[in-house]
Amino acid sequence: MHAEDMAEDFPVITVDTNALEAARILAEHRLPGILVTDTDGRPYAVLPASQVVRFIVPTYVQDDPSLAGVINESWADKAAEKLGDKKVHDVLPEHLTDVPPVNADDTIIEVAALMARLRSPLIAVMKDHKLHGVITASRLLDAALRR
Amino acid sequence: MAVIAISVFVVAYVLIASDRINKTLVALCGGAIVLALGIVEADDAFYSHETGIDWNVIFLLFGMMIIVGVLRQTGVFEYVAIWAAKRANGSPLRIMMLLVLVTAIASALLDNVTTVLLIAPVTLLVCDRLAINPVPFLIAEVLASNIGGASTLVGDPPNIIIASRAGLTFNDFLVHMTPIVLIVMVAFIAMLPFIFRGSFDVDPERVADVMTLNEREAIRDPRLLIKCGAVLIAVFAAFILHSVVHIEPSIVALLGAGLLILISRLEQRDYLASVEWETLLFFVGLFVMVGALVKTGVVDQLARSATEFTNGNGLLTTMLILGISAPVSGVIDNIPFTATMTPIVSELSASISDLSHPHVLWWALALGADFGGNLTAVGASANVVMLGIARRADNPISFWEFTRKGLLITVVSIALSALYLWLRYFVFG
Repeated sequence: MHAEDMAEDFPVITVDTNALEAARILAEHRLPGILVTDTDGRPYAVLPASQVVRFIVPTYVQDDPSLAGVINESWADKAAEKLGDKKVHDVLPEHLTDVPPVNADDTIIEVAALMARLRSPLIAVMKDHKLHGVITASRLLDAALRR
Repeated sequence: MAVIAISVFVVAYVLIASDRINKTLVALCGGAIVLALGIVEADDAFYSHETGIDWNVIFLLFGMMIIVGVLRQTGVFEYVAIWAAKRANGSPLRIMMLLVLVTAIASALLDNVTTVLLIAPVTLLVCDRLAINPVPFLIAEVLASNIGGASTLVGDPPNIIIASRAGLTFNDFLVHMTPIVLIVMVAFIAMLPFIFRGSFDVDPERVADVMTLNEREAIRDPRLLIKCGAVLIAVFAAFILHSVVHIEPSIVALLGAGLLILISRLEQRDYLASVEWETLLFFVGLFVMVGALVKTGVVDQLARSATEFTNGNGLLTTMLILGISAPVSGVIDNIPFTATMTPIVSELSASISDLSHPHVLWWALALGADFGGNLTAVGASANVVMLGIARRADNPISFWEFTRKGLLITVVSIALSALYLWLRYFVFG
């Protein structure tokens, strides 16, 4: 089985998408992560759901996690409001932009190896220099175990 | 050989100052070239006190980095900073003054970069609560960390280098550096309302928000805090009692770090997280390059030229070292500058006969290098780190915004230092 056979349609956002909107898509569809493309539609980053959670954590708490407990409940509940007009590009951690896509003819092992090495919940599939679809970890396992 | 040693050194210095290439890579390449060409040999580089790597400096830094790495896990610093902010009853000016004080005291005990990494997030949190611009607070704190760090042997890397090369003790720094640091801090705090005029307006309703912060939640592991506190007290007691226990600061720091690792039972990745391997390797490369200048006689020649220029006048030489150290340290990193200057100051101290105090030139170098770090946004590592934190928090500090304040504080602190050196060592010395 090749990557193109496993690829499926998946919600995609761009770097210019509103960060709050991106978080909402993940929350509503309970997705394991989401693919971020650049303005030309090329894969730019893979955002695991756990990293989208960081969107609502102020940078100073990310820098110093011991401050998380210092903040009281009513303020903590309003954390998402801070996102305001920020775009995905503004809140995207740099290390997540280094998730290369796989080619349509790559094998299941190649896709699994890349996904495992990068600890990424999904991988973009490219065909003829265009985004063909996305393979999630659960889709890959499903394909591997069906044999 | 001297020409090659100078060429390698100058090229490396320019590259380090330009900040285009990783400075550790530059220092190591410079060191490798003088070693490969045989200007410095293995014995010179690894075993010589005059021309080699100063292992006292390397291991003191290494030991303190581990101690700080464990201390950071306790949350005690966040506790103190939030407690101080609440004691200010929400007044932004009083908050700034108290946070500046906390930063200066912490900087005297820890290195400046660590202090900045600890104080900045708390400051952003408090300013976020008050809905005021955190930039003046962040600038004031980094200036305070460079001032406070000057007061002790372990407060700033230039002090560690100077102490090791000049054979100065922890108490020497307390007796000679702490008084002037206290004077400069008082002047700095008095200047805060004027330097940051217009930065202290706050909505009274937001003040109550600061009072709701719960500092007790910052202490994540009270038992670790007790262990860490006990070891830290023992380490500083051993620094102060050096004349009684006769253990070098580097050994004290290593023993303290080892003990802390044993009793804290932290994972390796936790206690090694704060070890800046790049910084340690930067020092190694730097020491080898400077060793080449010493071995080839360049340093002797520079010291002789300086003595001729000042005509062997102690006061003039002191003021010359102070006057050169501050601007140079403000433009390039003060660590390579201090590493280069120590052999020169050592020669000058030995050759100038009319010095009223044997270590006055060393204090001039320490004050110039430490306070000079405030001159520009790139004068000290702590400044660069603070600018990075501010940028990531969407509150960027421009080079000139920092430098305008830094220049003023540097001029005041160097003027006070010159007065202090003159009065203490030449008028009343």
